[in-house]
Amino acid sequence: MASSSLIFITGGVRSGKSSMAERLALEIASQSGGPLYYIATGVPSDSEMQERIEKHQSDREAGTYQWKTIEQSVQIGRLAETFSSGDIILLDCVTTLLNNELFSTEQTWNDSFLETVKEKIITGIISIKNRAGTMIVVSNEVLNESLPGNDLVFLYSRLLGQIHQVLVEEADQAFLVEAGIPIAMKGVRQ
Amino acid sequence: MHFIIGGAFNGKRAWVKKTYQVSKQDNWLSAYNHDPLPTNLMDIEEPVIILEGVELWLKDLTKNYDVNHSREIWNRCKENWLIWEKAGVNRKLVVIGTDITKGIVPLEVENRVWRDVTGWAYQDMAAKSDKVDVIWYGLNQNIK
Repeated sequence: MASSSLIFITGGVRSGKSSMAERLALEIASQSGGPLYYIATGVPSDSEMQERIEKHQSDREAGTYQWKTIEQSVQIGRLAETFSSGDIILLDCVTTLLNNELFSTEQTWNDSFLETVKEKIITGIISIKNRAGTMIVVSNEVLNESLPGNDLVFLYSRLLGQIHQVLVEEADQAFLVEAGIPIAMKGVRQ
Repeated sequence: MHFIIGGAFNGKRAWVKKTYQVSKQDNWLSAYNHDPLPTNLMDIEEPVIILEGVELWLKDLTKNYDVNHSREIWNRCKENWLIWEKAGVNRKLVVIGTDITKGIVPLEVENRVWRDVTGWAYQDMAAKSDKVDVIWYGLNQNIK
């Protein structure tokens, strides 16, 4: 039995990163025959968001392969024991999960809270990956613009950057998607 | 000159430390530590010098001078740094800049000017560099 693997995918808004991640998951499923799971982190905050989520859902249901959707907006590590080796899991996306963790409590953003959130997300992802066959994680490229003199945005950016660095370090493969085209950044033979 | 670019919090500093085996105190001049923009590096005897946070030095310039004058001052500094580097065979100048250029056009004119001047300065530094690496979450992509 092959060991489990982690695949990290980022890109800008509407870069095609979600489609690429889904395509990759299907490819792996068609080779291994493993079941597909989708961890939905989105909590609809308005009707546009609701439509966006429904579009993603119907896209996944339209295919030949059936996805099982699991809704989990915080503490994804709790899902780990529901998975077993051979499962193919897609988490889309880290930034939504981070938002949920940060804004689901009234906690002030001190160092220990931010550290806890970071650990929760990273260990959650790693523990699911360790139980499953393949864990694919999607996130957003948001760190290439000038930071305003705004403490919250600064702390958020630092946290997301740190999480991305650990995920890339842990990942067996990493991709940056530009305009629908995946650029292999790590672990892929050219 | 080795120019390092990448988004904020992408692990640029750690990559440079690892690559050049330089600890933070050894001739590490950083705008993040409020070191002033070095107009020249003449007093420095160490073989490797790292200039970090250049986007903040550029921001400072654009706050105090108009676009052309900012670019002039910047170019003069950069020429002096290159003179320092060329003065010794073992000398190496490493410049780290955070990419601030891929967001929505800023509302405030001063932020637009800062972004423009930074983009031009980066193009120019890349052109003058022997080596350019983009750092993406700790991984480097050598683009020159």
